[in-house]
Amino acid sequence: MLDFLLKYPQIVYDQGELILAREWPPWIAVTCFVIILLVISAMLLIKRTSLKLPQLLSIWTLQVLMVVVVLMVIWQPAIMTEKLRSGDNVIAIMLDTSESMNYTEEAGSRMQTALAVLQDQAIAGFNDRYLVQRFTFDQEAANTDSFETLPLPEQMTLLGNSVRQVLSMSRSTPLGAIVLVSDGADNAGTLTQDQLAEIAAFNVPVHTIGIGRETIEEDLELQGVSLPGQALPGTILAARIAVRHDKPGLARLKVYDNDNIIMSHDLELEETNQVTTAWIDIPVSDTGYRHLKFSLDPWEGEQVTLNNQQSRVVNVKEEKYKVLYIEGEPRWEYKFMRRAMDKDPSIELVSLLRVSQNKFYRQGISNADELEEGFPTSRAELFQYNALILGSIEAASFTPEQHQMIHDFVSERGGSLLMIAGLNGLGNGGWENSLLNEVLPARLDQENQFVREKIKVALTSVGLHSSMLKFDQDINENRTQWDGLPEIADYQLIGNLKPAAATLLTFDVAGETHPLLVNQPYGRGFSYILATGGTWRWQMSLPLEDQRHETFWRQLLREMVIDTPGRFFMTSQVTGDEIQIKSEIRDEEYNPERELKLTAIVTPQSGEVITVELHPSTDVPDLMTGEFRADTSGLYTIETITRRDDEPIDSARMAIYHDAGKAEYFSLRTNRSLLQQLADATGGRYWNIDELDELPNAVEFSSAGITEREISPLWDAPLFFILLLLFKIIEWLLRRRWNTI
Amino acid sequence: MTKASKIFSAFSFTIMMYIGVVTVANGDPLARRISSNSEFTFIRLVYNSAPAMYQGYGYGMRDSWRVDWPDAENHFLQGLKRLTSVDASGNGQLLTLLDEELFDYPWLYVLEVGSWVLSDTEIQRLREFLLKGGFLMIDDFHGSREWAGFMSIMRKVFPDRPVLEFENSDEVLHVMFDLDNRIQIPGIHTYWSGNSFEKDGIKPHWRGIYDDDGRLMVAINFNMDIGDAWEHADHPNYPQPMTALAYRFGVNYVIYSMTH
Repeated sequence: MLDFLLKYPQIVYDQGELILAREWPPWIAVTCFVIILLVISAMLLIKRTSLKLPQLLSIWTLQVLMVVVVLMVIWQPAIMTEKLRSGDNVIAIMLDTSESMNYTEEAGSRMQTALAVLQDQAIAGFNDRYLVQRFTFDQEAANTDSFETLPLPEQMTLLGNSVRQVLSMSRSTPLGAIVLVSDGADNAGTLTQDQLAEIAAFNVPVHTIGIGRETIEEDLELQGVSLPGQALPGTILAARIAVRHDKPGLARLKVYDNDNIIMSHDLELEETNQVTTAWIDIPVSDTGYRHLKFSLDPWEGEQVTLNNQQSRVVNVKEEKYKVLYIEGEPRWEYKFMRRAMDKDPSIELVSLLRVSQNKFYRQGISNADELEEGFPTSRAELFQYNALILGSIEAASFTPEQHQMIHDFVSERGGSLLMIAGLNGLGNGGWENSLLNEVLPARLDQENQFVREKIKVALTSVGLHSSMLKFDQDINENRTQWDGLPEIADYQLIGNLKPAAATLLTFDVAGETHPLLVNQPYGRGFSYILATGGTWRWQMSLPLEDQRHETFWRQLLREMVIDTPGRFFMTSQVTGDEIQIKSEIRDEEYNPERELKLTAIVTPQSGEVITVELHPSTDVPDLMTGEFRADTSGLYTIETITRRDDEPIDSARMAIYHDAGKAEYFSLRTNRSLLQQLADATGGRYWNIDELDELPNAVEFSSAGITEREISPLWDAPLFFILLLLFKIIEWLLRRRWNTI
Repeated sequence: MTKASKIFSAFSFTIMMYIGVVTVANGDPLARRISSNSEFTFIRLVYNSAPAMYQGYGYGMRDSWRVDWPDAENHFLQGLKRLTSVDASGNGQLLTLLDEELFDYPWLYVLEVGSWVLSDTEIQRLREFLLKGGFLMIDDFHGSREWAGFMSIMRKVFPDRPVLEFENSDEVLHVMFDLDNRIQIPGIHTYWSGNSFEKDGIKPHWRGIYDDDGRLMVAINFNMDIGDAWEHADHPNYPQPMTALAYRFGVNYVIYSMTH
């Protein structure tokens, strides 16, 4: 219809620019319009006969519209487009040859479908108008003369890298467009926003053709497993599981520690979601690198089961973390927290208690010098702790330098800060005007007084899944145990929560729910508020053998310290079979150490030891990176050694488990959104295989390569004449109805 | 109803009314509910005393817990507030071991324990209170006979835990004040009589019962009367050094109980 009314197909209008071919100055058009407007108005007023005002206005409007259409036709509207000049340009056709293209569907394998698409007349016809260059790609693009002989499938697809590579290779050629045939399985995740922008900057349209099914009902995919990389012995780890599915049902997840099954959990996959997430609790007790394997039982008819499994390594280690607790008054919460932490082998709770105006009492110190001068006065002294607790103590008790240090303790050192309620705590302590109000997860308000009234604590949905608030692995039993806790002794209201804050515990007062335990990330660390100083009542009110009070404090403090980065911090990133080691080294004040050299010794479970030199990252300041390729599946232990002038200074260890060659079996479904994103960013279009007839036209419109400008007149488009006729007929019909003709 | 029954009923009613009126007039301390808006509340333990053990200082046989009450703790609390950062209530409060609120106040003070009598339930609740983290300060009992009376109950509370003399290095003697130089603190009447001890309690003992982690649960001030020294802190004829030492002991016990 559009073709008929406006002469040209939609794509011409999408790609072209509307212009007026008559190059008369605009004032002539305006003058003509005004004169005709006046003439029409005058004529109608003179010859108005018996028409009423509304009728007169209707006729006037129709006649004016007609004049507008006539003036438009006189000024000759046209569409200006840029087209690839036939015979002068190059079209690149990229064919995905990675392993996922061998996935078999009803019409054969994806590769067979892709080859059939390439033989389609629409694409085969490119040869007549362009010089066609062919590329296969997986991890990288490779030029090929024809698609008849294909390379062996690779175990990874780097879509973004491959497109960029083709664009770079074609810099010296008049590349008009890229036609990319793929299932969109960029399983290395390289097509980032930065890379998209980089690709778009080449200004070459990328037309993407999606191969394969977007839904695979018979397939289950264990899309993600998130859990901490390290843990203390005796901890319950909360693991977040994400399962991709295209139909509802029940899936059984099994967790293995090495090869021993440690738990089995049924997941109910919902109809409304394509990805169902669930939390499961995994107890870890023995120290060492625990290789945890998560595996979904296959569904009936499931073709690919390799994507049902994922492995993670958790480093369970006995480690002492130091927590500094500053308290402004002797109080029961202080005493009972200390008692709860006394038998925790992983937490060294050092406290400084103001027992009188001029006297502080130290507990848990490791030597006579520790905290001898009171609160630390240097960054190095404060930063040796992993977490800091501020109790009922006023902001004015600290110097401005100490406020800054506490701020930096969270933001730069990556420590955790917990502020607990009290007579001189939170809003009562004047903290609302301090630098720490920025760090804390809620605004503090001086009006929010500390209230000694018993209140009941409730878990939020976030708290229910938090490992620090687990009394039992069973979610219902955990809730029951929380519901069964006695009231706590007091509370303090806090102000509005910050956007990133998560509320884990709440309490009700006068019918309103208020946050009790909240936290948020801040800089490299975390901040917490516990709006009570009365959890000790749990200890005194519960039966003697009940451990919930102790468990609460131990798990809260463990959560606060477990992820605090040390001075020598190491992590890794897996991209297919490429593994990048990332490391940061800081001095006692957590300033970056830039003079040290780093070497990583990688010991695979099987195979030879690999030595990797780490170098400064080009993207992130103060980060050292190094890469190695993991060709075999298994545990990789990485020990990184720092050296100054070839003298070893320090070392750090970590381990990862790598499943070599499995990446291609994940993200099995055609990733239409990724292909569409790539096409949209470059001015191309995403195509289904049943609409390829229009592809040649679309490819033709491109401003890349050698182009020619084409002006397509519109003045003789049927639409204008139909409009003229329509306006006149309407006027005639109206006049007939009003009996003025 | 016979005439005798009517007379008996009328007599009983009259007696009960009399007891009620007397109780109200005297302001029965146990009739008052605890109301404290402070972190630290000084709780004096109310208990029953054995008639046979009763020594008699003008109190009823069931009232030996009342000795020095309420001036002792009220005076001490003023000192505690002045000398420390403890948010302490202005007045002491009373509780029995059977009171529901017992576990809301982890500090207990009890005296004249030579004659105390605790039921099995009270003994079980006291043991639970202490093992959970509560603290008990015992004061003002003297001589071997009262020690035996005290231990007859305490052995039921903790059959296997020894009673130990404080070591000089014990943290409770240093937590706030260093109490290396300790002297016997007599009651005011004993002092006026020219002695520093009562009965055969010549030598003062600072003893304790500890939990499995070495924390002091029960502080036993034997052959001395710290409460009297608190009570008579403003008496011109009671020696200041003894009052000062009594305050220091009290402060150390409170701070220790709130930190260990």
